[in-house]
Amino acid sequence: MFKVGSKLFLGLTGFAALTLVAYLIFVERLALGGVALSVVFAVLVGLSAVIIMINDGDSEVQPRDVSLVRASMWPLVTVVGFVLLILGLVVAQVYFIFGIVVVLAALTEWLVQAWSESASDDAAHNESARRRLLHPIEFPVIATLGLGVIIFAFSRIMLAISKSAGAVAFIVLSSLVLLVGAIVALRPALKSALVSGICVAGAVGIVVGGIAGQGAGLRTELAEAAAEGHFLHRECGEEKSKYFDKKAMKTISLRTNPVAIVELRGGVLSAIMTGFNEPQKIVSVPRGNPVTFIFRNFDDAERRMVASLGTAMAAGAETSTEKEGHSDSNETCTQLIPQGAEQALTVTYAKPSIAQEDPLTLTVPGVTGQAIEVVVP
Amino acid sequence: MNHRSSNETPAVGRLSVARVKARRFGQCALVATGAIALLGSCATNAPQDTWQPKGPNAKMIDDLQQPVFAVAGIIGIIVSVAVAYVIWRYKDRGQPIPEQTHGKPALEITLTVIPALILAVVGVFTFRVIFDLARTDDTQLVINVTGQQWWWEYDYPVQNEWGITQPIISSGQLVMPAGTKVLLRETSRDVIHSYWIPALNGKRDAVPGRIHTLRLEADEPGIYAGQCTEFCGLSHANMRMEAVALSKEDFARWIANQQAAYQAPAEGTLAKEGEAVFLNQCVRCHQVDGLKRPDGTLAIAAPDENVWSGAAPNLTKLMTRNTFAGAMFDLLRDACRDDVWKADSAEFGVKYLAGVDEACLNVNDLRAWLRNAPEVKPMYANPALLTETNGKYRGMPNLGLSESDIDKLVAYLLTLK
Ligand code: HEC
Ligand SMILES: [Cu+2]
Repeated sequence: MFKVGSKLFLGLTGFAALTLVAYLIFVERLALGGVALSVVFAVLVGLSAVIIMINDGDSEVQPRDVSLVRASMWPLVTVVGFVLLILGLVVAQVYFIFGIVVVLAALTEWLVQAWSESASDDAAHNESARRRLLHPIEFPVIATLGLGVIIFAFSRIMLAISKSAGAVAFIVLSSLVLLVGAIVALRPALKSALVSGICVAGAVGIVVGGIAGQGAGLRTELAEAAAEGHFLHRECGEEKSKYFDKKAMKTISLRTNPVAIVELRGGVLSAIMTGFNEPQKIVSVPRGNPVTFIFRNFDDAERRMVASLGTAMAAGAETSTEKEGHSDSNETCTQLIPQGAEQALTVTYAKPSIAQEDPLTLTVPGVTGQAIEVVVP
Repeated sequence: MNHRSSNETPAVGRLSVARVKARRFGQCALVATGAIALLGSCATNAPQDTWQPKGPNAKMIDDLQQPVFAVAGIIGIIVSVAVAYVIWRYKDRGQPIPEQTHGKPALEITLTVIPALILAVVGVFTFRVIFDLARTDDTQLVINVTGQQWWWEYDYPVQNEWGITQPIISSGQLVMPAGTKVLLRETSRDVIHSYWIPALNGKRDAVPGRIHTLRLEADEPGIYAGQCTEFCGLSHANMRMEAVALSKEDFARWIANQQAAYQAPAEGTLAKEGEAVFLNQCVRCHQVDGLKRPDGTLAIAAPDENVWSGAAPNLTKLMTRNTFAGAMFDLLRDACRDDVWKADSAEFGVKYLAGVDEACLNVNDLRAWLRNAPEVKPMYANPALLTETNGKYRGMPNLGLSESDIDKLVAYLLTLK
């Protein structure tokens, strides 16, 4: 009754049960992992039952030449996978998930290889049967992984070198690729060993470069920006500062559905709102709800829009009873944008207008005597 | 092919008693459902009937759907009768299978072209209505509408031509002038809701972060009921609203009263004690514009710190509305409410503007609300179960007030008009 196949599956089933129990006890109860393991367990139970029912695939082929069986790396990989899996139970979920992937992949390879080796007495035929089954899976997976590594390594290089060096590197590299491609296309007689040698050398170069780039870290501007945070410097003045965004976004999707579009045109600031036929000077917005304004600059100087947030602070910053500790930079703003550009600004007014000492406003630094009043009921 | 001769006992087609019973039950159920649907359509008190438009926008939809419904109905009847006839006429009586044919291009083309033409005609009229209903350039009055679990907030932007010189904020009942093109600018503070007053227009979703517009216009003064029509959580069914249309003069009166300054209750009254309880218990969520603390500072509510949506109804003019808690409960006793709802349009405005006084106050429901709000309206307001919302309430919690505090609060709330 119990032949090789059913023993393998029964063993696996037992192992899945143990893993499931261990996961539930040591890692987490009622977690996604538990569900996944239960599914694995259930599938294995089903498979074992099938294997036993069909009498272990009782092969009609009688004992074969043992020398047909090739050496296989899959048992080893499977074991590595299991080790990762168990390690993952203790250390971190990533290893666990990685272990599952490795075990499943190795088992698939192993099973197909074992099956193909007993398919017939002809070793060549067996190998081609294996390929027919596995290559459609292996090739895309390996290609994806390989390309992923190369792209990741390339991105590390581009993040480490300066902006202009990045542009040069990109042009040189893509020209090289084009050149090599052209040569290969024009000279089909070229030795395939040579071609793959060039490809491997290129890939290895990029990966090594990527490792070096990762070691070198981000280029200065990026490192600074990451450490400082562009929006930490709420600089809402008229002048460009060190931190001004050199590539401010200049257009916005119309689907943003703003509460108002604030236009600066001929030195005059006005708010355009659906439903109001005339441009408005007062905008009513609901309290305690993020609202989006769009600022459009038709002035020939670079301009930004500033929203004052009032003396009663924004959400959660202070309780209603204490009004001490206002910061005087209690405002937020868009980037500086050139003529014809537009930007969105999303603001939440937690307190109503009656709580403010001064009216809430939208203004443009450098444009005097113009303000849109924001009324929060 | 073999056919049964008549003396053979048919193996199939004979029904067991159980199957006959089951079939009878099925037929009864069908008839019953049909009857309910039919009788339901005869309801006399159906304030949310879509087939009774009370304003031009709803009329536009009605004028479209009546003919479409008629056409679809006639086609539906023709098709059902044809199917029934074919089923009856050609049922298996043991007759030989007739000759099988395949394809009749002329017939098939005809049967494709006719529906296509019908749909094209319907489509042209539908598009016209869609575009007419989306117009915003003829607006006469703008009202902002904000949905949240489980009530609607209305605020009226400053519009000097209507005498609105400072923001007005209300909830539950949308007050608007009759015969006026009102434009709602809808948004939401938490999940997607949908605004629907069937007698005045179709539905429009209120989506967080977006402003959607909906035209409303009522021909006559009166109250038009509606409810949220986008499933929005536990008390979705209790998220109702009423649009109250007033004549232009009455609307001006309503506006003036909404902008009137806060009147603190007189010293030594029960209401004054209620104000103190309110300052202690309620002001952390509910704003009453103009209410001052004993030290003379304005009391500013902090619903952003206590309520998940960041808002609780503004109670400054609570007693000028007829309903509370998402229009789920009446503020008026039944008799007083009927008096307002059934008033003819000439008298309606005066009756509505009278608001709620002590004699008419539906004191039972209001007290029940103050005693334990989550018991009368399902809400996520159990302090022990607020981990998902950072300890903030969705709805109003049970505040464990004493009966005497409730007495004081009711006396105080009655002054808010
Ligand atoms: C934690 C916040 C919170 C506190 C505290 C609170 N409420 Fe509420 N209250 C709400 C919310 C939220 C609603 C809306 C509930 C709904 O309709 O779904 C509400 C609704 C109401 C309504 C109905 C208003 C309307 O227009 O529909 C009244 C009246 C009311 N509360 C009175 C009080 C009183 C009086 C107190 C003090 C004893 C109080 N509330 C304390 C959150 C609060
Ligand atoms: Cu809703």
